[in-house]
Amino acid sequence: MGDDAAERHVRGFTERDGLAVVELDDEERAVVARIVADVGLLLGGEAFGVYSMSQRPERDEADEIFAHLSGLEESLAEPDDPAILRLLPNAAPTDREVASEFRRLTEGDLRDTKVARLRTLWEQLSEDGPEWEVQVEDAMATAAALTDVRLVLASRLSLNTDEDADRLHTEIELAEHALDTDADEDLMVDPERVWLGMLYQALTWLQESLIAIVMSSEERGRNE
Amino acid sequence: MNVEPREQRETDGNVATRLDDAWVTIVWNDPVNLMSYVTHVFQSYFGFTRLEAEVRMREVHEHGKSVVSSGGREKMEVDVQAMHGFGLWATMQRSGT
Repeated sequence: MGDDAAERHVRGFTERDGLAVVELDDEERAVVARIVADVGLLLGGEAFGVYSMSQRPERDEADEIFAHLSGLEESLAEPDDPAILRLLPNAAPTDREVASEFRRLTEGDLRDTKVARLRTLWEQLSEDGPEWEVQVEDAMATAAALTDVRLVLASRLSLNTDEDADRLHTEIELAEHALDTDADEDLMVDPERVWLGMLYQALTWLQESLIAIVMSSEERGRNE
Repeated sequence: MNVEPREQRETDGNVATRLDDAWVTIVWNDPVNLMSYVTHVFQSYFGFTRLEAEVRMREVHEHGKSVVSSGGREKMEVDVQAMHGFGLWATMQRSGT
């Protein structure tokens, strides 16, 4: 399981008048919206808004900040992408009959639930203004959608154990240090991996800070 | 925290004496789900107290898995679906297997 120890330098949600609020700049907002839309497509949803994989220009200036997402998007287009198994896992690995019955009964609903939550998140991120606002009563749905996005990124980053996740933190710290000191060529830094890893960490801290708000709000509710 | 007694009780089959209690839902550890999130999911979905939810969460984190519910097969399908909805890695199986 993950914890937030390594994510504290990234901005998180804070509570304001019954809302969870975080300020993201245009680029951060665009990147998060894009990965959210990618995961929606992976789950078989319709393209969100005007965004679609096929309409996107091959490469232009505006696409530069998304360059590191392209490898992920290509892998997500594969039919047997392991990421889909993280989102819709096998419910009974030792019993094929139970597993396929479960899939038949639940997969459609699960896909619809997840796509609907991702779409809501995408719509929030597509609103004007620098702040991403989530009603506290909707925060668990947002946290669940963030989990789905993080599961897909974790699959791409090959995070299969808690140790893998710890190693990613160390890797990113080393890479950041190397980039600061211009030693990145010596360290064999994979820029795409570092970029996706930093996105994963940022989403982790956004989720963690959102859950803290939900829990403290419920705590207050019980004490009133 | 010592959480062994519960694990024992669930796996040695003593709880599965009634027919409608013959299945269990198990949540497995994964590196993505956050401890606070898992605790809150257990609290809100299963109605556990904060303490009960934290014991289950710690069991998942430290022992790799925890039995979070037991009952008939259809009920377990509902619970597993809910866990998958939250992005948790859950499976179901006959109790005692």
